[in-house]
Amino acid sequence: MASTTSDAAMADTKPFDIVATYNELLRSDADLTMPIAAIEALVLLLTHSASSTISETLDLLEKSTAHLKRSIPNPIGLSAGTDLFQRYLITTLQRPGQLGPAGDFKAIRTHLLSNGRLFIRRAKESRDKIAAFGRGFIRDGSTILTNGGSRAVAALLQKAADEEGGPSAVRFRVIYVLSSTSQESKHPNEEPEGMETVRALRAKGVPVSTIPESAVAYSLGKADMVIVGAEGVVENGGIVSRMGTYQIGLLAKAIGKPFYVVAESHKFVRLYPLGQYDLPIEQQVVEFKSEEDLAEERKQQSSVDTNGDTPIKLPLCDSVDFTPPHLISALITDSGVLTPSAVSEELIKIWF
Amino acid sequence: MPSSSLALTPGLGSFLKCLKTNPIDTSIETLISLLKRRQIRHSRSCATATAYLLRSVISACRTTDSAKLIERVQSVGRRLMAAQPREMVVGNIVRRVLGLIRDEAEDDRDAEFALSDIGSESQPQTPRAYDDASLPLDRDSPSFRAEDRSSRPPLTSMFSLLSHPEPEISLPSTPGSSSPSGRFTGHGPSKDVRAEVLEGIGEIIDELGQVDDQIAAYALDHIHSNEIILTHTSSTTVQKFLLKAAAKRKFTVIHAESYPNNHEATHATVSGSAVSDDDNLGLEAFQKPLIEHGITVILIPDSAVFALMSRVNKVILGTHSVLANGGLVAAAGTRVIARAAKVHQTPVVVVSGVYKLSPVYPFDFDSLIEYGDPSKVLPYEEGDLVDLVDVQNPIYDYVPAELVDLYITNLGGHAPSYLYRIVSDHYRKEDISF
Repeated sequence: MASTTSDAAMADTKPFDIVATYNELLRSDADLTMPIAAIEALVLLLTHSASSTISETLDLLEKSTAHLKRSIPNPIGLSAGTDLFQRYLITTLQRPGQLGPAGDFKAIRTHLLSNGRLFIRRAKESRDKIAAFGRGFIRDGSTILTNGGSRAVAALLQKAADEEGGPSAVRFRVIYVLSSTSQESKHPNEEPEGMETVRALRAKGVPVSTIPESAVAYSLGKADMVIVGAEGVVENGGIVSRMGTYQIGLLAKAIGKPFYVVAESHKFVRLYPLGQYDLPIEQQVVEFKSEEDLAEERKQQSSVDTNGDTPIKLPLCDSVDFTPPHLISALITDSGVLTPSAVSEELIKIWF
Repeated sequence: MPSSSLALTPGLGSFLKCLKTNPIDTSIETLISLLKRRQIRHSRSCATATAYLLRSVISACRTTDSAKLIERVQSVGRRLMAAQPREMVVGNIVRRVLGLIRDEAEDDRDAEFALSDIGSESQPQTPRAYDDASLPLDRDSPSFRAEDRSSRPPLTSMFSLLSHPEPEISLPSTPGSSSPSGRFTGHGPSKDVRAEVLEGIGEIIDELGQVDDQIAAYALDHIHSNEIILTHTSSTTVQKFLLKAAAKRKFTVIHAESYPNNHEATHATVSGSAVSDDDNLGLEAFQKPLIEHGITVILIPDSAVFALMSRVNKVILGTHSVLANGGLVAAAGTRVIARAAKVHQTPVVVVSGVYKLSPVYPFDFDSLIEYGDPSKVLPYEEGDLVDLVDVQNPIYDYVPAELVDLYITNLGGHAPSYLYRIVSDHYRKEDISF
């Protein structure tokens, strides 16, 4: 536990920076999802603050959450975590018995502070649970089309592949859609997202074909189903996911292939987007420019360096889109296989 | 064979007789063999037989320990389901009985907790909640984690990520870890769980008897004067539904004959010459057919469905079972009708008792389809041809949820996307795959 002690030492010297903590958490553990990193960051925040009353703590959480959301270009995923954390605190305080009004606030606080690792472990375990639920979807001889770098999808596919040679061997093939936007970004040598999963699957003897995004419609005829991950699952059962998922969903619907989403239930987020442009983030995807604008831009870039005051925009390689619920056949979550309409129910359970 | 000693054709009636006279293990064997030989066929007959059998099983099981009851019902249920995996109502009834036992056991335990809470109020600093909260602190993390993993119930809420380990949420779903229920029995039989469960099963049996009438009560909301209704197969649920409406309104029924598996029964239903077979318990024999209520009934071959669909106002279908995603498994030919209705934008209404609603998710549609006797398609008299062709006679069709507009159950009308909710109301999460 050397890291925590050094964290504590740092806290003594300078004030706790939630944004840096969040980013650091995400960087340090590749398996960590955004909501869980947000929860962890809040747990660390509580460790560093000496708040002892309920309202003080809630106030602190609210302020830090707002700050965190402002400073991260795409706060959809993390807001699922911060909301869950806040609701958990409030609901536990209101619930009679157990840790209710009588049961003291300190007990909850201690529980949250001492079990940070436990939450992370549970979050990772939920991927195994999903894999167990989703295992039934992958059948002998099926071909699965997937995209992006979702760890839950990777866990599911690898679980099915692990059983190769065992009593319940599954022989399946994977068509992996590799994103082209990440190659165009600043690091041209960086391999596209998902290559790691592709290698892992190939090592397990699963035949994998990698295709560019432009070949999805062409290749879908050979696939039996589409399985994708999600960054956030919104209230109407739709998903916010890596750019390109929406078009795969549309194509799958048009061709009549089932489209399954694999997501942990802590990614359910209280958001009701009505369309692609209704997400609470700024994306530089569709940008109209004339030659004049380009010249202007070049001039600005040469004259002034980054001001820092402009709102943070999402880089193109991290952009997301919204897949509406009618394109989704089912959501494979750690609380079972849900229809999109069941998502709102889960959310209602924690909010009301 | 015990059933052969009775002078009855094997079926629901003979089984219920046998249940009264024979020891319980013989009855279980009888039902398993009846299911395996498809001598009990209809969804409702299977459900009724299962419910009666489980009632006998529980009344024969002399224990007040709910964990033992669950174990017993699970083992019987597993055997029944293995005997006929495609007859999903069997599993549904077993799950509902398991849910009943769990509910009763939990009620009991809650009452006990309430009692013990009152008792411990005199000692201020040690409420139970506090103990639970401090658990993680007193223990070194590895052992705590191990215990947490084993005792954590399959929570449904999103809070499960952050919550305390709450061992009191469920009974052990596996027979191995029976420690919480041990404590429960230790407090003595304050209430007879078994009697409550038997009462509950009695309610399920009543429900099975009334379900068609309850569904029929919604008929007038859905069938209007001068409508043209298309239906399929000789489903009694649909017939009762139409008959109820026929008492008040005039409409036209187009009846597809569902050749080759059900056409004889369909013809009999239409003409009113239906002989009450053993499975129907003789109730339908007293029922007048639709034509005697002055309803025009047009019998058509299945191939004419698409041609006539443009004139149809509403399609009303019976079903074999309904799945958790809103899809359904129904008599072969249903999907064609539903598809044709979709093309013509004709509303499709499925009438089904809640007991047919299964929490099973259809991972593999093909495995749900049962294949029947090919000689119905091509009789053996055609000896020359039989050698040359491969004849298949699927009995069921899988109809995806998007082809259905409305489900009418004994609880009312529901959209297909709402079915998950009814599933979670009727079955416990821990029983879905046992």
